[in-house]
Amino acid sequence: MAPIVKISNLDKYFGRLHVLKQVSTEVAPREVVCIIGRSGSGKSTLLRCINFLEEPSFGAIEVDGLKVEAGGKGKEQRQLIHELRLRTGMVFQEFNLFPHMSVLENVIEGPVTVKGMDRAKAMELAEQNLDSVGLLFKKDEYPNRLSGGQKQRVAIARALTMEPKVMLFDEPTSALDPELIGEVLNVMKKVARDGMTMLVVTHEMGFAREVADRVLVMAEGEIVEEAKPDTLFSNPKDARTKALIDRYRTGSN
Amino acid sequence: MRSDSTTGQVTEPALSQAELLFEAQQRQSRSFRRNVGLSWGILLLILLYLFSGQNFLGIKTIDLDFEFVRDNIGFIAGGIPQTLWVSFLSIVLATILALLAALGRLSTIPPLYALSTFYVSLIRGTPLYLQIFFFFLALPQLGIVLSGLFAGVLALGLNYGAYMSEIFRAGLASVGKGQREAAIALGMTPWQTMKRVVLPQALRFAIPPIGNDFIAMTKDSALVSATGFVHEVMWRATRVGRAQFHNLEALIIAALFYWMMTIILSYVQGIIETRLARGDR
Repeated sequence: MAPIVKISNLDKYFGRLHVLKQVSTEVAPREVVCIIGRSGSGKSTLLRCINFLEEPSFGAIEVDGLKVEAGGKGKEQRQLIHELRLRTGMVFQEFNLFPHMSVLENVIEGPVTVKGMDRAKAMELAEQNLDSVGLLFKKDEYPNRLSGGQKQRVAIARALTMEPKVMLFDEPTSALDPELIGEVLNVMKKVARDGMTMLVVTHEMGFAREVADRVLVMAEGEIVEEAKPDTLFSNPKDARTKALIDRYRTGSN
Repeated sequence: MRSDSTTGQVTEPALSQAELLFEAQQRQSRSFRRNVGLSWGILLLILLYLFSGQNFLGIKTIDLDFEFVRDNIGFIAGGIPQTLWVSFLSIVLATILALLAALGRLSTIPPLYALSTFYVSLIRGTPLYLQIFFFFLALPQLGIVLSGLFAGVLALGLNYGAYMSEIFRAGLASVGKGQREAAIALGMTPWQTMKRVVLPQALRFAIPPIGNDFIAMTKDSALVSATGFVHEVMWRATRVGRAQFHNLEALIIAALFYWMMTIILSYVQGIIETRLARGDR
């Protein structure tokens, strides 16, 4: 099957720091890819380059047939980036819900403001998605009245309501209290079951093992290993992968 | 008082102890407030006494002409609406300018950034009193004649706008980077991000300090009386005070009015602030 996401020779510099080095990979439709690696390995930067939240220095991103090259300027490039962002939904570590809007307003904000969707139609869609993350009953609350887990579930509903082709998750459970991680992972599993293509930067090895179709291991700005989770976790090839997995095994007890 | 620890009675010990502590705290803060109020009353009485014209232990207190007060208090009070009107118009102008200056300060377009910093530097580097005269007395030389009210509002608005730009700058800075990123990731343009996500949060942050500046403005609006054409509180007080050589009484009346205005406005401001704070929780 033709890939839905294609990352070609991506380089990213922060000043003089070379954080992504010629990264290339492809993601098939409905595939769930988890990206693991130590902090500073470039995994978050890679994810953020996919929707140009960070502008890559060199290389190209292709999502659902739309290709955007790094380094473009002007109106045309802005339009391409805009199209790219409409194809991708993003979930952040810190949720980033809009505190001055109710849950429902948060979720319809994208469709109404960005897509110009009719408010009533957006609300219908938003309520469906809030229902699927189990938070329809909180639709009139403000974010500061929600727990961290609930906030993140709303953030997932907000991203889904834009009807993206691909969902990007940037350490979605890292800011959560341990007892709240499960509810968010369960929602993500559901999204995966519904057939969404997902790229997930995570430290949750259990989730990666259970849900991912493929796991990418990043170190020093490169993908050092990629494999199906069973293979990767039982028989890691790269020494850095092995160290990472061992550390989580011992760390989780 | 029960001594639960020694007798070991079953009397919900933790709760009652917490309640006792809480009550003691409440009592303490109530008595503090009561004593502060009492002291305020005493200070006020002393002040009143100083102006009562009574003899006390051979010290003669200040003798006010209450007939003058009675005859002119209404005239001076008639300036209150003008004072508030000038302040209101000026704060509206100042708020708009401050917001523009703050946005300019965040701009990556060099001329806009320069315009913003130039404006703030020029206005903050010259006295407000001079600015008021400049618009009222200096501009006519160039053929631009502004009414006293217009010149005053322009000067006050420009002046406060320069200082208030810092408020908006802080307000805009208070909105976290993650908020912008979330908006951008949804596909919002920079303008939509500003309008829908950043500004509403920044404005909310800015409302209490704007209120403070409005209160300060009601007092600085007295400077507009220097033009001689805006009949607000200060202008009226100096007019009747000078004419009848009763500046003491006239200025005391004006001072009391300003004081009352700021007390009332501060009270309103306090209510608004608690409302906003409650929304945050």
